[in-house]
Amino acid sequence: MATTVITGRDLTLTIASTNYDAQATSVVLSNQATIDTYQTLDGKAYKHIDDQWTLAVEMLADWGATGSLCEALWTAWESAPNTTLAVSLTAVTGAVFTCNVLPEVPSIGGAAPGAQTVSLSFTVVGNPSETFS
Amino acid sequence: MPASTILSSVRQPLATAFASVAANVYDHVPEFPPNPFLAVVPNDPYMEIDLIGKTNVKVKLNYIITCGVQNADSAAALDNLEQLIISILAAIPSGYEIGTVSQPRLLNVGNGESLSSEIVVTTRYTQTN
Repeated sequence: MATTVITGRDLTLTIASTNYDAQATSVVLSNQATIDTYQTLDGKAYKHIDDQWTLAVEMLADWGATGSLCEALWTAWESAPNTTLAVSLTAVTGAVFTCNVLPEVPSIGGAAPGAQTVSLSFTVVGNPSETFS
Repeated sequence: MPASTILSSVRQPLATAFASVAANVYDHVPEFPPNPFLAVVPNDPYMEIDLIGKTNVKVKLNYIITCGVQNADSAAALDNLEQLIISILAAIPSGYEIGTVSQPRLLNVGNGESLSSEIVVTTRYTQTN
């Protein structure tokens, strides 16, 4: 099998039907599994009991811009903080992951010399679904 | 909509923003800049890709604004250069990250000598069409 390389340029992120490619510098969907360990007479035994997925997004702030992503996230958090937003994350053509996340309010501000950035860590409700084709 | 260019979308607008600065302004490396001058020239690395996706070509552009004044008198030259740098910093439009200003140094161009400094700026560009 030939070596396959996919990069951040292959990523596509959509939250609540809005594309984030124009502002996002990083997106990572990851799972923190809870695994209980038992010491038995036969040695260690492991039991996978829970999963908590997180969608981490790093992006350039765009407050005040037409179609602002930061303002859309703020509005979602302010108006319906317990209503999930649909997320579609394409790792590469043929590998699409969908999930639902709770709204997260963007941070505001930054350091003087650089671009204002926003770090978001969305809590995923349930587990993501995948479409491999 | 015509295809965008870095020249028309970034370098020329940046140079135009310096219309109020008392200097000869260039959006490229001039052959023989008369003092006082400022020129928008590419930094190294010039272009960086730091956004996800490839539907559009989006790059982070790094520039150096090289500025210089006549170096006939050292004390006056440094004062003039400082005033020129401050006026440039005030005229840089929003959307540009401003880095550091380099130590003044002598720059020989043609038969003349300038006291010059470099201001590091960064912005983002999205190719359309």
